[in-house]
Amino acid sequence: MTSTETGASHPPTRARFRAGVEAASSTYLEQPDWASVVDHVAEGTETVAVAPSLATDEPGLVAALERLGCGIVVPDQDDPAASVADVAVAIVQGELAVAETGSVLVSEHRLGDRVVTMLCKRLIQVVPADRLVDRLEDAAAWLAVRGGQPGFASLMTGPSRTADIERSLTIGVQGPDEVEVIVLTGTIDEPTEGTA
Amino acid sequence: MTLRPFEERYAAALADDDVRTGLTAFQRGWRGSRDAAIEALEQQEGRSFDELRAELAAIKDGVLADWSHYLDEFEEKAVAAGAEVTRVATPGEANDHITRVVQAAGADLVVKGKSMVSEEIGLNAHLEANGIVPVETDLGEWILQLAHETPSHLVMPAIHKRKERIATLFEQVLGREFDPDDIPTMVRSARTELRERFLASGVGLSGANALIAEGGSIMLVENEGNNRMSVALPPIHVVTAGIEKLVPTYADAMKQVRLLGRSATAQPITVYTNFVTGPRPGQQQHIVLLDNGRTSMAEDPDVASALRCIRCGACANVCPPYGVVGGHAFGHVYTGAIGLVNTAFHHGMEAAAGPQSLCVSCGACAQACPVDIPLPVQILEVRRKVVESEVAMPAGRVTAFALGAFANRRLFGFGMRVAGVASTPFRRDGVTAVPRLLADRGPVRTATGWRTPPAVPARPARDTLKPGKLDEPPRLASQPLAGRTVSLFLQCLSDRLAPQIPIAAAKLLRAAGARVIVPSEQHCCGLPAYDSGEHDTARAMVQQTMAVLADADDVVTPASSCLAMLGHDAPHLLRGDVDEVERAQQLAGRTYDLIGYLTKGPGRLPAGSLDDGDRTPVTVHRFCQASNTLGRQDAVERFLRDVAGVPVVPLPEASECCGFGGSTSVRNPEVAEHILDRKLGCVDRTEASIVITDNPGCILHLRGGVHASGRQVQVLHLAEYLVGRLDGAAVGTDRGSR
Repeated sequence: MTSTETGASHPPTRARFRAGVEAASSTYLEQPDWASVVDHVAEGTETVAVAPSLATDEPGLVAALERLGCGIVVPDQDDPAASVADVAVAIVQGELAVAETGSVLVSEHRLGDRVVTMLCKRLIQVVPADRLVDRLEDAAAWLAVRGGQPGFASLMTGPSRTADIERSLTIGVQGPDEVEVIVLTGTIDEPTEGTA
Repeated sequence: MTLRPFEERYAAALADDDVRTGLTAFQRGWRGSRDAAIEALEQQEGRSFDELRAELAAIKDGVLADWSHYLDEFEEKAVAAGAEVTRVATPGEANDHITRVVQAAGADLVVKGKSMVSEEIGLNAHLEANGIVPVETDLGEWILQLAHETPSHLVMPAIHKRKERIATLFEQVLGREFDPDDIPTMVRSARTELRERFLASGVGLSGANALIAEGGSIMLVENEGNNRMSVALPPIHVVTAGIEKLVPTYADAMKQVRLLGRSATAQPITVYTNFVTGPRPGQQQHIVLLDNGRTSMAEDPDVASALRCIRCGACANVCPPYGVVGGHAFGHVYTGAIGLVNTAFHHGMEAAAGPQSLCVSCGACAQACPVDIPLPVQILEVRRKVVESEVAMPAGRVTAFALGAFANRRLFGFGMRVAGVASTPFRRDGVTAVPRLLADRGPVRTATGWRTPPAVPARPARDTLKPGKLDEPPRLASQPLAGRTVSLFLQCLSDRLAPQIPIAAAKLLRAAGARVIVPSEQHCCGLPAYDSGEHDTARAMVQQTMAVLADADDVVTPASSCLAMLGHDAPHLLRGDVDEVERAQQLAGRTYDLIGYLTKGPGRLPAGSLDDGDRTPVTVHRFCQASNTLGRQDAVERFLRDVAGVPVVPLPEASECCGFGGSTSVRNPEVAEHILDRKLGCVDRTEASIVITDNPGCILHLRGGVHASGRQVQVLHLAEYLVGRLDGAAVGTDRGSR
């Protein structure tokens, strides 16, 4: 691996990432830890779809959101698409944040993970600061390690858009209308449980 | 898939003003944002666009050099990840295979992400014939499917449709009113309509932007998110991809990403760059790898590098004729310049023949291409193949006959002298006054109504330039050419239709001290024949020119197009004969166009040496091939400012073709007319009363357009303009000396 999993995020890289995120019409936020993310997400949100892989990786997240009154959908049952059909807000965790383009690399092999990033209107992507990398080649290195294994990973850069009618930019087509990128500035191993 | 014949598509495109106005606006907007995006990339990478595209081109060439290895590697990895990979040779095999997969799944509805290769094989029609409903899910493609049309652009499939027409279409299909100015509402309606189809379909179809050999992954780039849904939601995912889409590694794919988004839509990266490796749990994945002429292309050195294409559409976005008629006429299934090359291999010579004459050979596509495909040369090679295959090109036989007569110097010279005498009654101020009785008749109007033809002068330039016939011009204070002998290559067109241009060039060179000789056996560099796909004729003419100029020291021509031919095209044309190539290169090494000779050659003139005090502003049309093929930028403008002391108003779109385009303005006068209109519109914006350029073809074309439109603008060759300043700038006349 290159810097992808070990490198510290240097402020200039973070500034570049932020510029890329904002240029792609996403919102950029920094939060110190998952507890603050939970507070942020819960505010004004009735129901939130949590990517199944995130629910597994951050076992306290679902409970913490529920404690703040959020309804939770984790689409890991028979018909994941139907289960998020009426959910407006979704949260996923990114594997990497690429400063060069302001992209978040999201790995979502299972359908349950994909439906939250495809079907919900407001998508919150959380990336730990130490997953911030400089260049697209760093994402290529991440992919190469997993090459040949069944998988689906997307570099996501902004809300879905089209310019197919007279080259006029319209935000929000099949994918989300609104994307928030949250960089977790605390350490990645910070325990989630007990922080909400 | 059966497209309408080219002539019908061409006529329909011309009849639709929306096509032209929409595309011109699109091309202008795209150009600005693309250039800014590429400039930002160059800064980010600390490398030039040329270096970056050479790197990507080398990656793609490397794949072709070891194609079966990378195909095997991709297949092995994809199969290991759970995909089923099928290689097919023809569209028929591809369609049959995909249909079987859909039928085996018991599906009658399939959703599709945008895929040019599916257009190439006519997949939708085949599915429909088998009772399967394919639904396009890319917004542009969906609009076209509703309208029963095909894409007119590789990336922006519905760019030819104005919002008003789309609103009307939506009203017809969805049964409620739409405001054309409210595009977001139209987009939201498409989302609602398509969402249920995504959820109901049994199979999702996609193409691939790259096949990554090291991981068996498909790379799919998109902005809307529809491809992600087509790939993910149905229980079966079918990928159809041309076998040229291979790249060795993920890192190579990222290099493609860096140039693709910027070249396609001026984005640093599209919203989604998806890497799909095998099926998701609970899903099947079928990958269909299509040849359909690709192996033949790879084996043909004239066109092999066209397989580098990453389908960005940039070659269409900078193409002047594309801006007039759009992709339905300019191309076949594949549109733009690349379509003029690969159509012959994917769809046959007949499909390739029609649009051939639309290319103006301006070279803009080669400059914009992110994988450095020499498109203009390849288009001319395909044009030759079309001519050789005897598929009828529009007016092909007439052209061949005319070129045959033209190739004979004596016959052509005699004919032009007869024309000069016969047309005397119609000669007015350098143009031919078309008799009023004829001027408004259909074909005559189409040919001349927008561009008054030049007059055929009583005497060609070669007569005036015979030794002792030309008055000695005033001498410049600076004599950089003292003691040098310059052989003037007149250019066939100026010699016979604009003799004042080579005469002015001769005077200017003499004013700077040169002894000017005009080899009497000279005729034509062969460009018109080359441009018409008649390569044997072209070769004979360029060789005749090489023989005539074999003993000359410095060769100067007032026509930059001849320099492009002798320096750039002749070595290509003669590539079968090493000695001839060397002779062509030697000649090219001592041949200059006028501006090159006066700025970079021995004729460098000091600042202010042609300043006569006149400060009337001028503007400069840059001959497109000088910019795109010879790599010249603002040399004429700088020369005029520095040496002639004249203010130069920048011409918007200065390097865009004026529409003369060799045979295009004869074969497709409507296209030439509209490109000329765009050019003269730019001239109007400068408010300059003098346009200067340095290629006689452009001059005759622009003058004809100015005259026909009644504009009060003078169009001058650089030599004519400078000679007009000699009296005021020179130090004295020294008649009688040579």
